[in-house]
Amino acid sequence: MLVKVNSAANYGIKTVRVDVEVNVASKGFPTFDIVGLPDKAVAESKERVKTAIQNSGLDFPDKKITVNLAPADLPKEGSFYDLPIAVGIISALTGFEVPKKFIFYGELSLDGGLRHTKGSLLISMFAKENGFDGVYMPFDCANEAGIVSEVILYPTRNIESLYRHLMGELGVIEVFSRKEIDFSFEPTVNGFDMSEILGQEQAKRALEIAAAGGHNTLLLGPPGGGKTMLAKALPTILPPLSDEEALEVTKIHSAAGVIPPGGSLIRERQCKSPHHTISYAGLIGGGTYPKPGEISLAHRGVLFLDEFAEFPRYVLETLRQPMEDGIISISRSSGSVTFPSRFILIAASNPCPCGYFGHPKKSCSCSEYQIERYRKKISGPILDRIDLHVDVRPVEIADLNINSQFSNRKVQTSKEIREKVIRARKIQEERFKVENILAQKEKYSKIFTNTEMKNKHLSKYCTLSPEVDNLLKRAVVKFNLSARAYFKIIKVARTIADLSGGEQIGVEDMGEALQYRVR
Amino acid sequence: MVLCAIQAILSYFRGSGPSSTHTRQDPIDYLGLFVILRFMAKFVDINDSKYPTLLKNIPNPPKILYYKGEWGSEIFENCLAVVGSRKMTSYGTQIVQRLVMEIASRGVTIVSGFMSGVDAQAHKIALDAGGKTIAVMPCGIDLIHPGNQKELYNRILGSGGLILSEYEGRELPQLWTYPKRNRIVAGLSKSALVIEAALGSGSLITADYACKFNRSVFAVPGSILSSVSAGTLNLIKTGKAKMVTEVEDVLSVFSDMLFKHPSDTPFCAHSHPKRSEGREHTEGVSRAVLDLLESEPLNIDELSRETQITPDILGFTITTMLLDGTLSEEKGRYYVS
Repeated sequence: MLVKVNSAANYGIKTVRVDVEVNVASKGFPTFDIVGLPDKAVAESKERVKTAIQNSGLDFPDKKITVNLAPADLPKEGSFYDLPIAVGIISALTGFEVPKKFIFYGELSLDGGLRHTKGSLLISMFAKENGFDGVYMPFDCANEAGIVSEVILYPTRNIESLYRHLMGELGVIEVFSRKEIDFSFEPTVNGFDMSEILGQEQAKRALEIAAAGGHNTLLLGPPGGGKTMLAKALPTILPPLSDEEALEVTKIHSAAGVIPPGGSLIRERQCKSPHHTISYAGLIGGGTYPKPGEISLAHRGVLFLDEFAEFPRYVLETLRQPMEDGIISISRSSGSVTFPSRFILIAASNPCPCGYFGHPKKSCSCSEYQIERYRKKISGPILDRIDLHVDVRPVEIADLNINSQFSNRKVQTSKEIREKVIRARKIQEERFKVENILAQKEKYSKIFTNTEMKNKHLSKYCTLSPEVDNLLKRAVVKFNLSARAYFKIIKVARTIADLSGGEQIGVEDMGEALQYRVR
Repeated sequence: MVLCAIQAILSYFRGSGPSSTHTRQDPIDYLGLFVILRFMAKFVDINDSKYPTLLKNIPNPPKILYYKGEWGSEIFENCLAVVGSRKMTSYGTQIVQRLVMEIASRGVTIVSGFMSGVDAQAHKIALDAGGKTIAVMPCGIDLIHPGNQKELYNRILGSGGLILSEYEGRELPQLWTYPKRNRIVAGLSKSALVIEAALGSGSLITADYACKFNRSVFAVPGSILSSVSAGTLNLIKTGKAKMVTEVEDVLSVFSDMLFKHPSDTPFCAHSHPKRSEGREHTEGVSRAVLDLLESEPLNIDELSRETQITPDILGFTITTMLLDGTLSEEKGRYYVS
């Protein structure tokens, strides 16, 4: 007897339909075969399905069972075909009707229970877009998949309850109610508050600008200056993700399988700080079945690369395309996958191998050549994509003590800065509204922040008054700035003007922007 | 010259050929080789009348001095060795700027070792002042070391300066060639000025040589907290060097100078013309910044803390002051220029 069960497979953040065909033949030796290019995890589902059915109080038939995963030429991976295979076999045995307009999705445990399975959000989105009524999925996935409205979700705990439900028994599995999802956003205090960081007035201001305009930042300074602390505090001043952004981010996390059981929509900006031993596949994504890397998990958030110069050069060079385009395309023999990757890069590095070059007290023990070689580890094209260059100087203990004496002095908290950042982002959103409508028509990527402006936008939104232009031109000569640096400084000045609410870029804005030039 | 060289090469090879009637001792061959050598790198023999007298008087003068540039005897008349740490601080930059600028503009040749840091800065400032400068290399005459200072190298040659070395060809610098080079730096000069030096640094070796050769040694005092001032302070403490607080201290050695500046401005922070001029034009924030920077160089965070002005406003002020030339920046610290 042949049974067809609907299922789906995720490739990157795209989903394709997979039909699971189960045939239980009345003749032939008892065997259990899966065809349709299964990988190891799919092939092993035989054992899980068999044991799970037996442990659910049902008889596993001693017959020739053939499972086909169609389309047959598409390689299948993962454990999420367990449920559709099991449902197909039970249906062939007991004769209940498998719901035609429903997708079955989930991994089985040996005791017959359903385990949390990655990518459930993508499946429920696929179901909605392709005219399915709903999805049967593991109970733990429902919060995640339930973000999508207008899809009926049956959060299933085990095979036995699903069997009774499909046999027509009422009240065994309740339809998932979206009211159970908590969509509210409360910024968690897992980072440092900006007010906790002593000194570093300029670096803090630079991060404020970075957060407002999405600018990539390089923090350069000796050890113990507080570079790491600053970077960890950055997410606390970033605005919460908008609905559209939150969905983008949650999709990537769902595909990577990093949403915990019971987890739901991600409202918080992500901060990823991979260690410098990371492989390029770990950073940008990869694998036989490409998975999103750290840069995609940091989408719309912060990618913090500490000890920037210690990263292997070929790993850093892979950042070029994603930093420019906001997407990363990974091509493998099994196919090509595109992940979004629009992040703020915060790179921190020591100025030399020993770390103390330019330190006011400690002397540097590196030779000129060593320092130069260390600096050259970060290539020009990467440095070109960094808008803000900030020196983080060590804070003297004596200064800290003095500071505490002036404790009544106003130090901005993360909350205060965040409000300023949100205001500046609102201004940018208004500015690029028209631009984004055009972009949708012409299939360009949308602009959210000043750093994404192309040169044509600069002439449109960043007109310089003669006074400002003069200041910038003088600086170009004095500081020997390149053409690329010139445009970068205009973008940074635009963000500074947005922070102060200025319509035009003022002399003050340009003067400050020049502080963050390449040195 | 070229023709002569080609002729010499031809005659040399003809001379060594089997069918030749000449022998290798033929005087024409020696002449030919001589021409070839001269064509490649210029040199002065110790017996040459052009050889600098001061250098000849030291215990172990180099037998041959290779050089690049135009040799003129007047360049060696009033030489001052300016040496110091490769890891120059902003204080060092300021000192070189003020002392060497003045000294070089009065016609004193600045001799140094072409290393990064104080050496390179001294060469640069001497050239900026329109003065002459001599760089003594620790390596073969045809090698530029350190290689990243090619621009400075060409500037020295382009403005009538000299590059000297006692080594030929492209010989690499060795650990022991640096102190040997220092002996030439000290030997060429009437006096040595140490800007900044850490304890045990090569600049102190130059100072030691200068002492041995009976040349006067000057050292610039610095903060007792700074590691690169420890060496100079020690020179002053032990009496090896005289303390420098103004340009005249050094210039007194060159009393037979060709010309004197009409205004004998003593070297002192408070009398710097540019700064006081700048003060009249600037207001509020910049005045507060200048007041603070007068006593010591500070970075923007320290300025922000002291003045209670936020870094955004301070950033703008500092940028404009940098562009005006009122301030200079060195490794993140600002000082009044």
